[in-house]
Amino acid sequence: MLPPAAPFLAPADQLRILSGLSDPALSELGLEELLDEVLERVQQALEVDTVAILLYDPEAGQLLARAAKGIEEEVEQGVQLPLGKGFAGRIAAERVAIAIADVDHADILNPILREKGICSLLGLPLVVEGNLIGVLHVGSLVPREFGERDLAVLQVAAARVAPGIERARLYSALEREHRVAVMLQRSLLPRELADFVGVGVAARYLPARDGVGGDWYDVIELPHGLVGIAIGDVVGHGIRAAALMGQVRFALHAYALEGHPPGRTLELVDRYVQTMREHPMATAAYAVFDTETGSLRLATAGHVPPIVVGPTRACVLDVAPAAPLGAFPYGSCPEHELTLASGEMIVMYTDGLVERRGTALAQGIEDLLAMVSNAGSAEQVCRSAMGGLVPPEGLDDDVAMLVLHILPVPTRLRLHLAADPRTLADVRRVIRRWLRERSADADDINEVTLAVGEACANAVEHAYSPGPAWFELDATESDGEVTIQVRDTGRWREARGENRGRGLRIIDAAMSDVELTPTSTGTEIVMRRRLRTS
Amino acid sequence: MLADVQFDIRDQAVVAKVTGEVDLSNASQICDAIGEATPNTALGVVLDLSPVDYLDSAGIHLIYRLRENLRARGQKLLLVIPLDSPVQDSLRLAGVTQHLAIAPSADEALADFAPARAEADAAKTPPEDSDRDTPQGEPAV
Repeated sequence: MLPPAAPFLAPADQLRILSGLSDPALSELGLEELLDEVLERVQQALEVDTVAILLYDPEAGQLLARAAKGIEEEVEQGVQLPLGKGFAGRIAAERVAIAIADVDHADILNPILREKGICSLLGLPLVVEGNLIGVLHVGSLVPREFGERDLAVLQVAAARVAPGIERARLYSALEREHRVAVMLQRSLLPRELADFVGVGVAARYLPARDGVGGDWYDVIELPHGLVGIAIGDVVGHGIRAAALMGQVRFALHAYALEGHPPGRTLELVDRYVQTMREHPMATAAYAVFDTETGSLRLATAGHVPPIVVGPTRACVLDVAPAAPLGAFPYGSCPEHELTLASGEMIVMYTDGLVERRGTALAQGIEDLLAMVSNAGSAEQVCRSAMGGLVPPEGLDDDVAMLVLHILPVPTRLRLHLAADPRTLADVRRVIRRWLRERSADADDINEVTLAVGEACANAVEHAYSPGPAWFELDATESDGEVTIQVRDTGRWREARGENRGRGLRIIDAAMSDVELTPTSTGTEIVMRRRLRTS
Repeated sequence: MLADVQFDIRDQAVVAKVTGEVDLSNASQICDAIGEATPNTALGVVLDLSPVDYLDSAGIHLIYRLRENLRARGQKLLLVIPLDSPVQDSLRLAGVTQHLAIAPSADEALADFAPARAEADAAKTPPEDSDRDTPQGEPAV
């Protein structure tokens, strides 16, 4: 029998190497780097040929080789060892350190240890707060009697490193999930909010302290001057909730585009949620706003009631919510109708914003109302609510909010507009609202809008400048006569052929007085019409 | 989305139903889409504008361009515009109402295709003595 191999390093040197294991820098490392660092230091301190860490997978009841030095094959081949059997399996099952002086005669399951020609082994369990997290073992290619002092050194290493492993393992798993979930959530929310002249929109999404959830919002541009606004909450956290949220949001968006009113839209989304295998719990509110008349149709399914704030009122809407989405077969969703005056805002939000432990939900909503009732814009509402209700350390639940502001239409309407054909529909909405507020009748509104639309279309079509081009609209009313001026930076194109020039003909027919003037920078058209009601 | 077009083929004619608003931003796309959706074998197009609530001069231009394109292919364009439609106002203000073939409903527009349909059906039926044109014993090519 060979004499036991004496360590070459003095105990003081061993400890110096090991003390590095408590480096604060180590806690910054990811799991891979941490394991690598630990193995390196243990190998140096004990002067052994092999070091391996096997992590315990409680679900599989197995040890999985996770990192190794000198026997890297263990990891490469994904060695898995059952609990209770073999050298490492016994250490894990019995939670005791085991030393084997002569491997050949021992119960070794792992063929790699034999093939490597390992002579002696020493191993111990890694335990954190009573839970087994794995096994750390060292081996020698020359016969060696591991003694009490070797065990003590390995114990120091294990004690220092086990919590780090556990933390890093939890951290990297959590961090990965968090990253994926945040990315998913971001990609599922609208990239940018649609821009409407005459209406202001602002929104926020704030993940919970521990990650994302299933909150969402959406703004949907609909035909006939309608704007759909939606908000919802799929119960749950993480990737699953975010993915379900995406499905619910897209379903609502698609049904909304079909032109269904809010109640029917939520009913259809409910039917869709009923068919989802995951049986998610979800709430939503959906409203369709008519930018011309100010009318708002609203339906909610298990969702917190929206609030309305404006110059003359600040209130929680008294809407009886239908059941949450997917709660009952063939649930019906009643609709509520109200009118939003110029300057008013509707605020939709999710319960994460108003739910506080130990406070009634109704109180939370009142707090929100008080927080935002003086805000002057959609963006200010979001800022006040987030600033006032979200503590610096974040919230337990994620939060979404969406605000639609009915911008006041001034008596004198002056617009600076992008020379883009898509602007035309917005201009028509604003002109219609402006005419309505001047008490114009339906014929006045239709014909003046048509004339203004033609004048603006011409400005858009003839904006020659490369890059972004603009045009201006100025509308005034005096003693029942409206005067509208459209000024562009291009030249009024002469009518070409039979099919052109109809725009000008329409303007002439719709308005009582039309002047077309070339200016130094473009063309200016001034048109007047006496309103019939005056 | 400002407008939508739905297509249907009825009685050998394409019925294109436009919903929403037609202006400079979408008129030429709508015109192209209708041209694409009309096979050469169709008798023509019924352009149903009943659910349109705004149509400007770009939309009127669309109607004229579509009519020209179809005429070049020997096809007819008929419009469906109810009397109380805002589209009637646009056509009236532009002074083009009397130049266009307008029916109050899609059914009435389709009825206008009846003579063309009868003619087309007659052309399709082979003459009774057609097989005598091929000399006996020689394989038909």
